[in-house]
Order: sequence, then C-alpha cells, then structure tokens
Amino acid sequence: MTMRQESMKGSVDSLLLYLVSQQPMYGYQIIKELGRRSQGYFKFKEGTLYPALHRLERAGLVRGEWQRLPGGQQRKYYHITEAGYHAMAEQRNQWRDFVVAMNLVIQPAYH
Amino acid sequence: MATAVSHYLESVKDNLSLDLSSETEVIRELESHIEDRLHDLEESGVSEEEAANTCIRLLGPAKQLAHQIYEAHSQGTWGQALLAAMPHLLFGLLFALNWWQNVGWFLAMLVLVFSVAIYGWRHGRPFWLSPWLGDCLMPVVVSGLFLLCLPTGWSWLAIAVYVPLALWLVGSITFQTIKRDWLYSSLMLLPMPVAIGWFLSAQLEGKFPGYSTGLIQGYAPWIGLSFLVLAVAAAVFIRLRQRWLKIAVLVMSGLLTLTLVCGYGWYRLGLPAFLTLVITMLALFLTPALLKRRIKRGEHRPVARLLP
Repeated sequence: MTMRQESMKGSVDSLLLYLVSQQPMYGYQIIKELGRRSQGYFKFKEGTLYPALHRLERAGLVRGEWQRLPGGQQRKYYHITEAGYHAMAEQRNQWRDFVVAMNLVIQPAYH
Repeated sequence: MATAVSHYLESVKDNLSLDLSSETEVIRELESHIEDRLHDLEESGVSEEEAANTCIRLLGPAKQLAHQIYEAHSQGTWGQALLAAMPHLLFGLLFALNWWQNVGWFLAMLVLVFSVAIYGWRHGRPFWLSPWLGDCLMPVVVSGLFLLCLPTGWSWLAIAVYVPLALWLVGSITFQTIKRDWLYSSLMLLPMPVAIGWFLSAQLEGKFPGYSTGLIQGYAPWIGLSFLVLAVAAAVFIRLRQRWLKIAVLVMSGLLTLTLVCGYGWYRLGLPAFLTLVITMLALFLTPALLKRRIKRGEHRPVARLLP
C-alpha cells in the first residue's frame, strides 16, 4: 500500500465529515468534490465510500435524507449532525498537531 | 449492459443480510450512484457497455461491497449490547441467587421478559430483541418437555396438542426473524439446547414429573452460570462487526454452556448425550441459514429498475 493510500485510509472519516459540513451532499457528489478539491490527489475507491458513510450515519455523526430532484431522480443527501461537528473539530485538531509535529521533524536542520 | 449492472446489484443484495428496508435503501443508493456514473461516462463518449463495466469495476467486487456495508450496519451500541444480554443475565441471577424458588420473582421475570419482547417486536425488531424472544420461547419448549414426561396417556395428549402448537410458534417466530438476518435467529435459539440439556440432566435423575426442589437447587448455580455465559455471548455478538466472528461466538458459547451442562451432570448425561446436544445445537443454528437460503431463492426478482 502506498503512503497516499495509507494516509487516505486513516483520514476517510475526517474528509467525509468536513465535506458534508460545508453542504449536504450525496455519495457520487462527494467523490467528485473530493477529487476536485484535492486536485486529483485523493482518488476515492468508490466501493469504500458507502460503507464509510453508513458507518458514520450509524454512529450518529451524519444523517442521511432522501430528496427528489426536479428531474425525478432520488438522492440520499448526508447532513452533518451536532455530534459530527464535535468529532470533526476533534479530528481537525489532531490533524493540525500531527502536521505541525511532522513539519518540525522533516524541516531542514540549520547548523 | 443493464443486465451486467442488474446482476451486480442482485449480487450485492444477496450478500447484504440486512433487514428489508435497509436493504432496499442501500440498493436504491447504489442505483442512483451507478446512474450518475453511467451518465458521466456516456457523456464523455464511452460506449454503454464499457461504461457499465467501468462502473462495476470502480465499485469493486459485489460481495466485498456487501460485506463492508453489512459490517457498517451490524455493530450495535454498548447500550444495545447490554439490553441484549439483559434477559439471560436476569435468568442467570434468578438461578445463581436462588430466587427462582420464589413464585413472585419467577412470575415477575416472565412478565418482564414477555413484555419487553412484545414491545421490541412491535417497534421495528431492533438488534437486542433476539435474546428476549429466545427467553420467551424457552418456557414454551421446557413446558413441552415437562408434558412429554407425564404418564403415558397424558404424554400422548401433549404430543397431539401442545407439541405441534409449540413447534408452530417457535417455527413462525424463527421464520419472521430470519427475514432480517438468519444469524439473529440463531442467537434467539441459543438458549434452547442449554435448556434441553439441563432438563435432560435433571430428568435422568428420575425425579420428573414430581420434581424435587432440592435437585434443582443443586443445579441452580450451574444453570445460573450457563445463563451468564449466554449473556456475555449475546453482548459480544451485538458488538462484533464481522459475520464470521458472530458465528464463532454463537458456536463457542453453545459449546461452553453444553460443556457446563454435561460437565456438572457428566455421570448422568455422558458423552453420547453431550454429542447429541451438540448436534441439536448445530442443527438449531443452521436451520435458520438453510431457511433463509430457500426464502431468497423463492423471492428472486430483479433489483435494477433503472437504465434503458
């Protein structure tokens, strides 16, 4: 497994929570949005998206709601919940600490 | 092209093992995902057939997707785990603390178990319901065994009237619970071989139908312990995500409790009885799986309604 896949695996929940906190989204929209925002860096394996969304939904971090579009199609939109906001804030702090620590270690040393 | 997608969704559905409404919702969501992906691919100039194949490839193997979705749905909360363990825990305490001799406690316990089971049955049959249903059916089975031990004339009456009714009741409740997931039916039937084992163990002492309080008093702590094992098994079962681990918990707890039954009454039951009980247990665990398979075969219908 590459480093990119490894880091993606560990941060799926944070990415999903952050995206749906911006606006309610449905599965396919999440995949496209993630690719667009990360400029193609995060390529979500589509089969892993729905288990992750359902896991978050069962944990009460997101709430799924079916909506009928003007064209007649139905989409399940995911909304972030109050608990989801708390979890996201906590995960974001952990990420910031991690990034700061990483930068401190990998920055060039000046002697 | 539509056939390939339809087969894919059919395969996901067959491997989901969720209740009907969740199953329908999952398939609907995947359908809308495929619809969007196909639309985008076809707009970019990809042929219909190629688009369908790409779509399926991007979603990954149907079985794997179904198992991952099942695991996302299958884990109950700690509260649900505690609730699932509760009926076995209460029965365990009833025997371990020797409260079973008090008719008031015993009746209160039965009323509580039946009330909670009826409440759960009427409110969407949640995760924690199976052990409560199992403990409701246990007195039905044990009463049947008692009736079979009556003097010859009466036991024929039991065989002709009570046993078919009891079998119908156990069968129809099992059939209803299978619709969600056969594993929960097996969890429901978990106390049956244990109850049968304890009954046989006591019955072979030759004290039934005129049962001796002293005899059951001697067994009570062991009966209590076997129910405590069942309580732990039910809680662990609810908390686990993977199906194979759930199956392992059922089999291990079944074997452990039957070992307790036969270990305590070894001279009375012996190895053949132990093996018979193990076979009974396995048959009870596997019957829901076989029934589910037959039901699935019977109701096979295409799931994909989208696509031209």
